[in-house]
Amino acid sequence: MVDVNSTSDCPECDGRLRTRGTETICEDCGLVSAEDSIDRGPEWRSFDEEETDRRRTGAPLTRSRHDRGLSTEIGYGSGSNADYRSRLTGRKRRQITRLRREHNRARISTKAKRNQVYGFTEIQRVNVSLSLPDSVREQACILFESAQSEGLFPGRSLEGFAAASVYATCRTQSNPRTIAEVTTVARASDDELTVAYDALNRELGLPTGPIDPTQYLPRYASKLDLGTAVERRAHEFASTLLQNGAVSGRNPSGVAAGCLYEAAGEREEWPTVTQAAAADVADVAPATVRSTVQTIRKL
Amino acid sequence: MATELNRSKRRDISREYFSRERLAEHHYRSFNAFLGRGMQEVVDEKATIDTDIGDKEGEEPVHVELGDVRVVTPRVREADGSEELLYPQEARLRNITYSAPVFMEMSIVKGEEGDERVVDSTETKIGRMPIMVGSEKCNIAGFSDQELIEIGEDPADPGGYFIVNGSERVLMTSEDLAPNKILAEYDTKYGDEIQVAKTFSQRRGYRALVLCERTRDGLLEVSFPSVSGSINFVTLVRALGLESDEEIVHKVSNDPEVVKYMLENLEEADVQTEEEAIETLGKRVASGQGKNYQLKRANYVIDRYLLPHLHEEGVEEEDVRINKAHYLCRMAEACFELALGRRDSDDKDHYANKRLKVSGDLMKDLFRTALNKLARDVKYQLERANMRNRNLSVSTVVRSDVLTERLEHPIATGNWVGGRSGVSQLVDRTDFMGVLSHLRRLRSPLSRSQPHFEARDLHATQWGRICPSETPEGPNCGLVKNFAQAMELSQNVEDEQGLKRELASMGVEGIPGLEGIERSTADD
Repeated sequence: MVDVNSTSDCPECDGRLRTRGTETICEDCGLVSAEDSIDRGPEWRSFDEEETDRRRTGAPLTRSRHDRGLSTEIGYGSGSNADYRSRLTGRKRRQITRLRREHNRARISTKAKRNQVYGFTEIQRVNVSLSLPDSVREQACILFESAQSEGLFPGRSLEGFAAASVYATCRTQSNPRTIAEVTTVARASDDELTVAYDALNRELGLPTGPIDPTQYLPRYASKLDLGTAVERRAHEFASTLLQNGAVSGRNPSGVAAGCLYEAAGEREEWPTVTQAAAADVADVAPATVRSTVQTIRKL
Repeated sequence: MATELNRSKRRDISREYFSRERLAEHHYRSFNAFLGRGMQEVVDEKATIDTDIGDKEGEEPVHVELGDVRVVTPRVREADGSEELLYPQEARLRNITYSAPVFMEMSIVKGEEGDERVVDSTETKIGRMPIMVGSEKCNIAGFSDQELIEIGEDPADPGGYFIVNGSERVLMTSEDLAPNKILAEYDTKYGDEIQVAKTFSQRRGYRALVLCERTRDGLLEVSFPSVSGSINFVTLVRALGLESDEEIVHKVSNDPEVVKYMLENLEEADVQTEEEAIETLGKRVASGQGKNYQLKRANYVIDRYLLPHLHEEGVEEEDVRINKAHYLCRMAEACFELALGRRDSDDKDHYANKRLKVSGDLMKDLFRTALNKLARDVKYQLERANMRNRNLSVSTVVRSDVLTERLEHPIATGNWVGGRSGVSQLVDRTDFMGVLSHLRRLRSPLSRSQPHFEARDLHATQWGRICPSETPEGPNCGLVKNFAQAMELSQNVEDEQGLKRELASMGVEGIPGLEGIERSTADD
């Protein structure tokens, strides 16, 4: 329930404002700058025997569903109703089945909505395959929706936009994935993703700069089975390279791999990590790793 | 008696039964069996996922073949993308789920039968399986006490529970009536006493109740799912291929009294041949439909819904039918014997008529429905991808959250498949004894709001199995029980085929698919 409100600062001390429940409070001086008279969070009452499950209403609103999660479904009965004795029979059941089918059809009203549903499921799928947190999914869906409302879709592929939304969200949240990583699990090809990403970047003005190679380090370290000490050393190398401006013009993913290789070498973990293995993890040519290593050694 | 002398030895045995490995052993054994073969069995049952691709003109049909399934040990994926092993204590403290990725080999096959080619075949992650603490896939399996302490684990903790979203959940062992057994009992219908033989026929998670009733006028009727009301016994056995009067009587019993009863039934019979019988059945299961459809439906119903437990992998339905007829005759015999007072009604509370569903069995039920859900999703994704002219590849049609969600949610809430609730419970950590007692508790599915006096009573057959004194007071009294200290829980045979082959070699006749086995004669 914690939202970082970066748009405004505290009127008293210019500190950061945070919204917690109903109040917006300055993190530094504790000034309550705004108050919402409605608590939009879940009600903390438990209706079940279990105390762990406190809720009164259904799931919260979400942007990652085309209807914001407000749809109604005609169910089959649950809990004690699932008992075979209380199930509907004969004409009534057939009627409910028809109603259910028509109701399902009516959930999607236009072609645009249908595209959105398709895009959202694809985003969800890619998101789960990459084991990304739910916040990424939410953000990616919002991005996808804005792209649709900006009219970027005609002439480009839906799958591309779905994949690009995830790629872009990861990048803006400082948790970048390489294009190849996304496209191995997405239904889009590299080209489709790039085309869609370019469109997003150009038309929506994504807040992205060049990728910081250090953001790749934890992931690659774990893939190459390297310890935290190696990762920390690699982090130092990467920072030095950044300060000296030696990163520009190189693939940041490759730079990360190079730093890890060099750090692993220092700690004599050579037999396990070769330049080829590092390059493979980072999805770059071994030459990129090699040139980074040479730059590190020169500095 | 030399009881005095053996005291120290007896004490040793007693202590052995209280060791850490023993207290929740039934949970590990069951769950390990599920991981070891139960999962693969469920996948093999499913075997393929068929799609609607190819229904259109000029389109090649596509289906997915499921192969080996594999579970690794629990691990956690951090927000920065790194992945590392997860230990139970970390899962508890961070409120995450102690679960391991599940991988399955899947191949997408394209083309007509005979001209099939594999488009894509890979082992892909299909979801995450919650792992029981202390089971063989648990990361602390085989750790010494010192190692356990180092990772923050209590060496005395018995394990045997799951950790979902940081809370420890134990799956309640449930005590069900034994499936695939004939139980004869009295019932009343319109004020008259009648005799009923019941069987819960169970196969692969499908459970069908077959009833054989002897009504007040002495006629036998059978009822089973998908047929409303009941069907005349003679009609049904004739439909199953037991045609002549003599054969039917002979198969039911040789007892003159029973034969008399049976002849009354045969006199009343309105069909004489197998074809006629199937026609009559067809009129019942698909009334108002065309004749061909009626026959097709009747055959389908017999093979699918009647006594499904008699089916055998790789055996023709035709061969199974005669066995179904024989089984129905056994049920008829039970009814008649009850009517003649040759036997008493079966005791439902006898422990020989009970089976316990432990965590592994419950997880198998769960995994089966989860896999079906995943299969439906894969089918949808494939059709979708095909419609949009995408390349069909395994990695882009599997959504791994489908299975994960279906496995975790029931454990987290206790709402199991089949509408049962309260299956998983929060481990009672009031004290150490509380945990032990909770892990060794079992629950009867009977409603606690009804008297059920017999079910609550201590039964003589519970001796040595169920603790005679540990049961709660109040509405659950006698319905919630606890294992006795030295209780030993046996498991189902691993290789049912092997068992049957062995039985056949010892002279058991009529096992379908095993007619040609050489009989080894006993030398003595």
